Amino acid sequence: MRRVITVVSLVAVVFAGRGVSETATPAPTTAKKPTSIGVMPKKKGIDFFNATEIGAKEAGRELGITVDFDGPVTNDVTLQAQMIETWIAKKYDAIAVAPNDPEAIAPVLQKARKRGIKVIAWDADARKDAREYFVNQCTSASVAKTLMDVMAQGVGPEAKYIIVTGSLTAANQNIWMDEMEQYRRTAYPKMSNLSETPKATEEDQEMATQVTTDCLKAYPDLQGIFAITSVALPGAAEALRKAGAADRVFLTGLATPKAMREYVKDGTVKRFVLWNPVDLGYLATYAAIALTRGELQTGATTFKAGRLGEVKVQDSEMILGDPIIFDANNIDAFNF
Amino acid sequence: MRSAFLLREAALLLVLGVMFAAFSIFVPGFYDWTNVFDRTRHWVAAGLIAIPMTFIIATAGIDLSVGSLVAMSGIVLGLLYRDGHWPIGLAVLAAIGAGMAGGALNGAVISRFGIPPLVATLATMALFSGVATGLSKGRPIGNLPASLQWLSQGDAFVLRFGQGIAAPLPFSLLVLAAATALGWVLMHRSWVGRFTEFIGENEMAARFAAIPVPRMRLGIYTACGLVCGVASVLYTGLYATARPDAARGLELEVIACVVIGGTRISGGHASVLGSLLGLFIIGMLKYGLQMGGVKSEYLIILVGILLILTAVFNEWLFTRTGGKT
Repeated sequence: MRRVITVVSLVAVVFAGRGVSETATPAPTTAKKPTSIGVMPKKKGIDFFNATEIGAKEAGRELGITVDFDGPVTNDVTLQAQMIETWIAKKYDAIAVAPNDPEAIAPVLQKARKRGIKVIAWDADARKDAREYFVNQCTSASVAKTLMDVMAQGVGPEAKYIIVTGSLTAANQNIWMDEMEQYRRTAYPKMSNLSETPKATEEDQEMATQVTTDCLKAYPDLQGIFAITSVALPGAAEALRKAGAADRVFLTGLATPKAMREYVKDGTVKRFVLWNPVDLGYLATYAAIALTRGELQTGATTFKAGRLGEVKVQDSEMILGDPIIFDANNIDAFNF
Repeated sequence: MRSAFLLREAALLLVLGVMFAAFSIFVPGFYDWTNVFDRTRHWVAAGLIAIPMTFIIATAGIDLSVGSLVAMSGIVLGLLYRDGHWPIGLAVLAAIGAGMAGGALNGAVISRFGIPPLVATLATMALFSGVATGLSKGRPIGNLPASLQWLSQGDAFVLRFGQGIAAPLPFSLLVLAAATALGWVLMHRSWVGRFTEFIGENEMAARFAAIPVPRMRLGIYTACGLVCGVASVLYTGLYATARPDAARGLELEVIACVVIGGTRISGGHASVLGSLLGLFIIGMLKYGLQMGGVKSEYLIILVGILLILTAVFNEWLFTRTGGKT
């Protein structure tokens, strides 16, 4: 017992001493340390963000910078905030983050900016005063329009549908759903959304399968399903395949070709939508590095992003391009 | 008379000290008080709730609803402020009241109807989470006043020690310190703690000794709810939003702190200080490993291993000392 206390106090004494000596001798002026960049997905270990990691690493290699690609294993914004706290302590030069919530991530990003770290939001936006630029995959209006058009072609202009989403607080999905509803009113007024509250699946594929199975039973006159996250769509497709319901319910949404290949091949899903996640990771990382080098300034209107060429910048927002529609004819051309 | 400074707490303090030393020496950039204190802001909510959770576990109970209750109380705060146009001070009080009401519901269900705490709080965990999602329509509530955010993001004062070392001390950390002191006095220096441990050790005997077991239970769970309400205020301030999915999984984090701290999950023996040390050990381990560049998927594995090791150690210490610590 006494020995334990002695050791504890020894540790304390060593530390008190260490602190004093460190400040007594002036810290040696550090030679210019190499630039370090942190890139954070909403969640690790899913196809979509694995593909963005490939692009992020590619941009890093091209520009000769090691990229730390890390994020939480659940789509939890508070874990993201804690991890960014660590990155601030590590004195990274730039942070590119795909926030799970635009508001909740803002305080920690503002702290980063105060300490001179360049901040980019990608995939989903953060509050505008918390980041320099937002790297957007495509405009939310174009995502919404493409999805609704695919549904109209698949079922007809009077489709009865429901929407399966990630978490109910996911900012991207919420904006897309608002835009879908707006576009539906003008372009397809006879379509109807059978459930005003979307079905939450928390970026969990098994949950998406379960939720979709329940919906197939709960809505007998259901004709279409939008599954608008890259995890929800393969989950929903699995449910449709198990129930053998692919010929009466038309499923579409957003996911990577890799996750959807088998469902497209067996006809469970005819057409679905996405942008290129490899390019998205590439652009976000490229922009973050350019910011640290002063090659990208506040208020720029165009930005030359390596192999992607000129990218348009508008109101501190960069847009990657238009969404791609995948089907049985083109899916094999994509390897993400 | 129990010794104020027990062997187990000393051991935990030693683990924390050695960990801190090792990280400071081997992980560049770790030894920086400003950053360490900054990081502690994220631990305060779990730390606060760990205190009443220590009491609950000491009675051989459990409360799985604390995370959902934090979310629900936060939503009450956000809605009253945004839609009800309440002044922020009153909204804060209402959030604490909502937490207390939720805790009282837990306590009533458990003590009145004799439902096992695991079952009762599993049910209210879903209930509170459902209320939070329903009230907020599943969307987070932002644009909260700066004064609320200050509670979690602001500093009480700048701490100076040694020569030229200055670190801003987070205000919320002071709240945690005060709550721990209060919890410690209640647990280890008053009848509340004695009754609590007695109930956990042998409920039947406690009843025969004329301890008001149901009333104690009701009180402890209500107090836990109240603390959840306070934690929700700090949590809402820290992330600048009231969120229906706030504090997801917080219950497991809290229970882990308490168990690492040496409180027996089967009840009877409690240590408030141990729970707090458990909080700092888990937090410090995660922070140090992250700073050292360990990726998040491996981090979880290492934290899991730590939990198993401490559980084994605690059991060993308990049998070796014949249940005295």
